[in-house]
Amino acid sequence: MNLQWLKFALLNTLRNRRRSLVTVSIAALGTASILLAGGFAIFTYDALAQSSARNTGHLIVGKPEQFTKDEATPLEHGLDDADALKAKLLADPDVRAVLPKVEFSGLISNGDKSTVMMAVGVSPDDEFAIKGPFLTIKAGEVLSGGGGGTSAASAQVMLGEALARSLSAKPGSSLTLLASTTDGALNAMDVQVKGIFSTGVPEIDKRLVYTDVLTAQKLLNTQRVSSLGVFLNRMDLTLPAQARIAAAQPQLTVQTWVDQATFYQGVKALYNRIFGALGIIIGVIVVFVVTNAMAMAIIERTREIGTLRAMGTLPGQLLRTLALEGMLLGGAGAMAGALIALATSMALYVFPVQMPPPPGRSTGYPLNVAMDPALYAITLVLMVGLAMLASAWIARKTVHLPVVNALAHT
Amino acid sequence: MKNPPAVSAVNTAPVIELRGVHKTYRLGAHVVPALQGIDLRVYPGEMLALTGPSGSGKSTILNLAGLIDSPDAGEILLRGERVDTRDERRAALLRRDALGFVFQSFNLVPVMTVADNVDYPLFLIGVPAAERKRRVAEVLESVGLQDHAKHRPDALSGGQRQRVAIARALVKRPKLVIADEPTASLDSRTADQVLDLMRERGHAEGAAFVIATHDHRLTRRCDRIVALLDGRITETASEPTETRQ
Repeated sequence: MNLQWLKFALLNTLRNRRRSLVTVSIAALGTASILLAGGFAIFTYDALAQSSARNTGHLIVGKPEQFTKDEATPLEHGLDDADALKAKLLADPDVRAVLPKVEFSGLISNGDKSTVMMAVGVSPDDEFAIKGPFLTIKAGEVLSGGGGGTSAASAQVMLGEALARSLSAKPGSSLTLLASTTDGALNAMDVQVKGIFSTGVPEIDKRLVYTDVLTAQKLLNTQRVSSLGVFLNRMDLTLPAQARIAAAQPQLTVQTWVDQATFYQGVKALYNRIFGALGIIIGVIVVFVVTNAMAMAIIERTREIGTLRAMGTLPGQLLRTLALEGMLLGGAGAMAGALIALATSMALYVFPVQMPPPPGRSTGYPLNVAMDPALYAITLVLMVGLAMLASAWIARKTVHLPVVNALAHT
Repeated sequence: MKNPPAVSAVNTAPVIELRGVHKTYRLGAHVVPALQGIDLRVYPGEMLALTGPSGSGKSTILNLAGLIDSPDAGEILLRGERVDTRDERRAALLRRDALGFVFQSFNLVPVMTVADNVDYPLFLIGVPAAERKRRVAEVLESVGLQDHAKHRPDALSGGQRQRVAIARALVKRPKLVIADEPTASLDSRTADQVLDLMRERGHAEGAAFVIATHDHRLTRRCDRIVALLDGRITETASEPTETRQ
């Protein structure tokens, strides 16, 4: 393309500077809105993805029935020789850690009051080292040691905040866990409260109990674990590692964190619709504004277009230069919008803004906006492309007017 | 009435020729005959004036000769080649390569400088930049506007703007220049200057002019005057040789 056309287009955009400024401003605001909303969505997806993967492991290995059928008795579909399997999984260079998990339910009692609990047996040292601070400790300490509560005194639990309040339990309090064993008998075990935590979800905090794997196995009278959580070195290794492990352990099912992250999937589906619709609306507004500005410019220049046609300019050449005008307006707006979005995103890191707790949660979260290069590139290209198409579309009739009619236009 | 060839054009092929051209316009239910069997030839270097009252068909002949409109019947030949085509692309390329236009209200592009306005036709036909620059400077000097090359049209007087328009029409050395009332917006002194310029540059470049005008000062300086009435040629007159010179 000859730069002369671009120069001509640039000069034309500067004819009515106020109108061009308004057009560019609206395109900038539209672009910034899309980038900020999209950046917020991406940050949320990323945060939820990290949280989900940290909670379950990037991969979850278990028997196929573990993921498809309900258990008639606790750990009916659990893994038998978990230590040997763990050792095999750790041989993979991309695997950072393998954490066993024993999930069970039962009752928890302080002697005067009993309530339902959802319990998870974990390897405390590995669990809290690998996952980092995924719980907010409200009182006491996290579980420690490799577990192995062989006596009532050494069996320890952590309680959700609301559950502890319900049982009037504090760190050091003695409680009793009751659960069905794997052979259907009822078993009880005295435990000591080591700490009280909050997950940020009040409904979970009413029921959740953490203990160590050995205590859970002892209570359930089994050597099995429910599943193994496989933690990888990086998030993007998930799918290749899944394929490798699934191939090496064909008798087992290997799920990814996404398969178990129903909240993540729900939020992503919801946000995609909300922000997708928002993006379309903003895009339409920008297209209308550019179209309107170009329509006014083209009507004002109909006679000039006739003159240029009379001189031998082809309609296609005029269409191109008018599309370039749209490109310049849309491009300037998109670039300005991108700068606004970048500045806002960075400002949020320097001056944090706390969002209120979402529905169903008890804690807020910091408002952050991801600066995703792909989002910026796609948005800029779309904005420029839409502005060009809008300009060309609105110009197409005028550039094809009979020259005589265009010259007679007043 | 058939028009005789201009004195200077004897034995020369016409640049543009209209043969039995008819054109009608429809205004709602009314059909208005604009041209009724026009025969006209314009020869290289000739300056032909079209005169007549409003609605006599002057502008229609300019539009047809300028290839921006097509006849309902009859033929138009440009340098012997039929061009009464409805193929707009072909017509545009012919206009680009062979025709120049001078409009009553100058029709310069306001965002372009004087030099850019004059450069535009050369740019369209793909003349290399260095050559364009040289020719633009040359033609601007010939119309006395070399010092205004960087100015925008709105910084010029009416006469200067029309000189720019003439420079723009002539810079690509067209075979035919179509001029619609080129002096109508000018005072008499400026109009004289513009006419002198058109004659001088037209002869220098070998371009024929077809000029629609009511201006007697202009017609007196043309090689031939064609009078129109109701879409027909009523009279053709050649001006004395000394006037043309």
